[in-house]
Amino acid sequence: MRKNITIIFLAFIFIISSITFAEFIYPDIRPGYGVTSTGWLSDYFQPLKDTNLDTPIFIMDSGNPGATFLLMGGTHSREIATGVSALVFLENALVKKGRVIVIPYANRSALSIEDQDSDIPHFFQIETKSGPRFIIYGDRRTDINDQKIPDPEKYTHYPSGMVIDDGAESRNLNRNYPGKPDGNPTQQLAYAILELIRKEEVDFNLDMHESDTPRTLTDSQGNVYEGGRLAYMLVCHQKGLELGAISVMEMEDMGIPMKLEESSVEFRGLSHREIGDHSNSISFLSESPNPGQERIGENKDVINDPDYPLKHRVGMHLELIKKLFSTYNLFYEEQIVVENLPEYDLLMEKGVGYFLN
Amino acid sequence: MKKILLILIISLLTVFGLANEEKTIAFEEPVLITSGGQSPGALQMMVLAKTGGINYEFVKDIEPTAENLAAFKTLIIVIGASGKGLGAAGIDVDTELERLVQLVNIAEEKEIKVILAQIEGATRRGSSSDKITDALTDFADYLLIKSDADEDGKFTSISEEKKIPIRFFEKTSDVKDILKELFL
Repeated sequence: MRKNITIIFLAFIFIISSITFAEFIYPDIRPGYGVTSTGWLSDYFQPLKDTNLDTPIFIMDSGNPGATFLLMGGTHSREIATGVSALVFLENALVKKGRVIVIPYANRSALSIEDQDSDIPHFFQIETKSGPRFIIYGDRRTDINDQKIPDPEKYTHYPSGMVIDDGAESRNLNRNYPGKPDGNPTQQLAYAILELIRKEEVDFNLDMHESDTPRTLTDSQGNVYEGGRLAYMLVCHQKGLELGAISVMEMEDMGIPMKLEESSVEFRGLSHREIGDHSNSISFLSESPNPGQERIGENKDVINDPDYPLKHRVGMHLELIKKLFSTYNLFYEEQIVVENLPEYDLLMEKGVGYFLN
Repeated sequence: MKKILLILIISLLTVFGLANEEKTIAFEEPVLITSGGQSPGALQMMVLAKTGGINYEFVKDIEPTAENLAAFKTLIIVIGASGKGLGAAGIDVDTELERLVQLVNIAEEKEIKVILAQIEGATRRGSSSDKITDALTDFADYLLIKSDADEDGKFTSISEEKKIPIRFFEKTSDVKDILKELFL
């Protein structure tokens, strides 16, 4: 009898330990005076409510007529300069004309788990005006426990039918636009973002990303790895090419050369393609170089890398946002005016923490 | 005798000096700007022409017909092959090359000057872009090249071998003032 109880108890322990639960995480966000209201993405698509795919949104309304801009960070949670850029924006910026909507962590579920492709720690402590704060280095994709279904063998994009060999890409937000209201959680997340864009009549938007650095690396066996080509790129939907062309030239003039790229019409599911196609919003996507995404190397320093420190990457995104604003104002009657964003040189001198509450 | 020698020396110096004086190269408007490889560089050139006050028309993938070129005195081809751009246009690099070669042949027939421009720098160099460059250089009257696109000296060699004037620049926005100079 005792033996049976022991077996039952051990079986119970085994079953409990083998069940995995989705993690809950709410990132540390401390809005500044520019934020006039807050909400949740589920306000635009109710099925997200009470799930880890729901995410906070921040409205910065000048109260004056003008254009509406959407800033997205954290589509891929390991691309930390994107979430931090969004934080610096909503903790400092003052919108004087038009409106800015900020989603600092577009895929909150991906933020809840460590990067599945590296051994980079989940949390980094940085010093800020209020003392230590933690930056979260998450994964590229939705936590499989939040997706609630196993990955398919291959990923098929809805509605185009385009197939990607890696089935895990079904949990990549930036392969799932325009989303599907009755689809899986990541498809629903993409759909909710487009619903926000349509309902708020967002005129233009930027989805910030990070990629491999351009640095050429050599491993211990002497194998040479060419750097990535995506970093310092601005990808524009066809509706925004002219605007992007000027912004990129202005970035070069201020000492951060960027490459202009046209959104592919063949590769589906990306924000710059589908948001532009499925709404009136002009969509852009930016890429900064993240040492954590280099193909080789150990002890990658994603905060203080000598060539690509976090402050430089955040500075790049913020400067690009400023250029997009000024260029947008050249082309369109509805204006957007934003003040109090840190200048690049000051950001490089003081560091990111100086601009975080 | 001394006087004759002096006159001879002055004459020689004058001739030598004139021979070495940089020729002012000028092109005429209206200008047709088109892409050579469907990268966004052509669009940047269009923006630069617009802000530089140049009388231009921009047709990224203009069909190579005499009628389409009839109104223009200068053709600017912005070289840069882009898989995404070619994909968006529904063509491959060979189809694009065929269009461009026909275009420059018509330009030559019509005595339309051709400027080949590479304004996206090193990141837009590659085998497809180079293939386009190589096919068009015989028709070029001028090369306008971003300095870092010439790290391997390709454009310098073309300029020297084919005696085509070349102008380098550091930043893409520099092209605006160069256009103003070229189209006096």
